[in-house]
Amino acid sequence: MATRHLIIGGGTAGINAMRTIREEESTRSEITLVSAERPYSRMVLPYYLDRSIAESHVFTATAKVLADWGVKTHLGRRAAALDAKASVCTLDDGAKVEYDDCLIATGSSAVRAPVPGADGPGVHSFWTLDEARGVIAAIKPGSHVVMVGAGFIAFTILNSILSLGATLTIVELAPRILPRMIDDTGAKLVEDWLTKHGVTIRTGARLARIEDTKGRKRLRFAGASDIACDVVIMATGIKTNLDWLKGAGVTINRGIVVDDRLRSSVPNVYAAGDVAEGRDLISGKGDVHAIEPTAQEHGRVVGSNMAGKDVRYRGSLIINIVEVCHLDVASFGAWDDNRADAAAGLRADRPAYRKLLFSGDRLTGAIILGRSGDIWTSNDVGMLKGLVQTGVALGRFKEHLKKHPFDVKPAFIASRTTHTLLPETILGRPSKAPGDTPVAV
Amino acid sequence: MRVLKIHPEKCTGCLRCELACSYTQTGTFQPAKSVIRVSPFEGHTSYAPYTCTQCAEGWCMTACPVGAITINAAGAKDVLDDTCVGCKLCTIACPYGTMFYDPDTRKAFKCNLCGGAPACAEACPTAAITYEETATLDWLGDFAHERTARVLVGGRGSAS
Ligand SMILES: Cc1cc2nc3c(=O)[nH]c(=O)nc-3n(C[C@H](O)[C@H](O)[C@H](O)COP(=O)(O)OP(=O)(O)OC[C@H]3O[C@@H](n4cnc5c(N)ncnc54)[C@H](O)[C@@H]3O)c2cc1C
Ligand code: SF4
Ligand code: SF4
Repeated sequence: MATRHLIIGGGTAGINAMRTIREEESTRSEITLVSAERPYSRMVLPYYLDRSIAESHVFTATAKVLADWGVKTHLGRRAAALDAKASVCTLDDGAKVEYDDCLIATGSSAVRAPVPGADGPGVHSFWTLDEARGVIAAIKPGSHVVMVGAGFIAFTILNSILSLGATLTIVELAPRILPRMIDDTGAKLVEDWLTKHGVTIRTGARLARIEDTKGRKRLRFAGASDIACDVVIMATGIKTNLDWLKGAGVTINRGIVVDDRLRSSVPNVYAAGDVAEGRDLISGKGDVHAIEPTAQEHGRVVGSNMAGKDVRYRGSLIINIVEVCHLDVASFGAWDDNRADAAAGLRADRPAYRKLLFSGDRLTGAIILGRSGDIWTSNDVGMLKGLVQTGVALGRFKEHLKKHPFDVKPAFIASRTTHTLLPETILGRPSKAPGDTPVAV
Repeated sequence: MRVLKIHPEKCTGCLRCELACSYTQTGTFQPAKSVIRVSPFEGHTSYAPYTCTQCAEGWCMTACPVGAITINAAGAKDVLDDTCVGCKLCTIACPYGTMFYDPDTRKAFKCNLCGGAPACAEACPTAAITYEETATLDWLGDFAHERTARVLVGGRGSAS
């Protein structure tokens, strides 16, 4: 009998896993997908918000693609319980799906600040396609939008909100913006840049409640003046979608604890993406990254292992990039390690900042800010990723980088980073193009 | 697969490859839009061009959330403009630093081997860039290591 794979969650990790199963397997297996939503990419939603793409563009696997891959689907259905001993998953409509192995890739959901009025009309999250539709319907040219929270996800939609002709105020509880993406110096630079571009920022702001007044929203703060606006977006954090898994016997810490093959404590149950607590490439410890590249790599490694290969995963690297008003902001790896040997450079003439963090003579993390489209900024962004990813011994080029943090290329090339990188692949073979997945016959 | 082989010791730094690249890729002579880049070494006494290795992993391609990077007939990773949303994930995923972003078009761009007839190799007067059936290697590492080391010893950095 063909092996029965069950994929729970059709987001980034789930789609990558299914595609990789079809690429890697030697005998045709059965794949069943259970997903609360149709497969789409959340991180493309900001481009739907500013209408640079049509809604159809966000979908990563259409019904036809899933049929081509020979996937049996339960779309719009949620997994409600897992009996890991019997290898059976129960769906929210009572249906039961038996499996030989299963992948849990249910991602995360947005959480709102626990204040009165947070669930009222005109208050939105921006995480799912449905929520994106709500925000799209709400923002009109001239609307005043208040973004509660100044983290990475909030920043991914700033440009879109501004390009819709709305005015924007950002309120953040922490004393500074982007607290989990860049350091204080970088945050100050971004804050000044945004202020210069007409965005109002209020940090250290404790939101007390959200009220309705005359069809508008009024945000009340502890110890600061009210803000009236038309639309409130809460980007106040996310939580893993794992409540349904309680009592299944799968070990959960901050996420589902997985080994280097992405297996959970139950050998035929894998986890990937936002729900998985997998190895971090730099620290070597388990961590929940909740970023797209980690979900992609996790998904592919799981797919390959489900297809009978034996792929061990080295671990994932935190990489984040966001553009706000033509300023690129990126960080990698252990950028916030305050025990690291660090060097920073700030340009006086233009918005450009670098911070490089070393452990011994290896680069372990970096922060980079620069004007968008500055070709050398882009080059360095990738090269810094390469240096962190490979951990090449920099030798005397470390001192060079510390003195000249804007001169990355000679150090990258002369440390023979390319030589170290060329044989590196995630699955132990060259990657296939996205359209090259074998289809069912 | 045919790849771009770089012979750094032959490069004179004339930048013709950058011009040819930008012209073929964008229709204008704008080295800023070239995806092959000549870098100086040894305090501008030697030069070498650097571009995408068309690496086996294709970090740019596997990172793209919308499948906008594919493999063309020449075997090169190639951006499909109509599909790219301009999210830049590929620019940060490519560990070689050879994905670019154009703020005018809001698209990513990269070396696509000109579909099998690379303009840089054709334009290079000293054959410092050749298009050959060979395995891709780290063409510049040793060259740069030697030269950069001399500069560091020469005083710009504190060599140790
Ligand atoms: C606006 C926005 C911008 C972003 N920008 C970036 C960015 O620039 N860079 C970056 O790295 N990351 C970004 N992210 C984060 C990135 O999208 C996520 O890390 C990624 O989608 C995680 O993939 P996943 O497969 O783990 O989960 P998801 O893609 O969230 O997929 C989970 C799937 O599981 C389904 N599901 C949930 N519960 C159940 C259940 N009980 N049963 C069945 N199915 C269920 C969901 O409906 C969904 O289809 C962004 C996210 C958002 C919302
Ligand atoms: S752009 Fe970078 S990641 Fe993509 S194929 Fe070239 S070297 Fe590889
Ligand atoms: S910028 Fe374009 S090609 Fe690059 S990852 Fe984003 S959508 Fe894909």
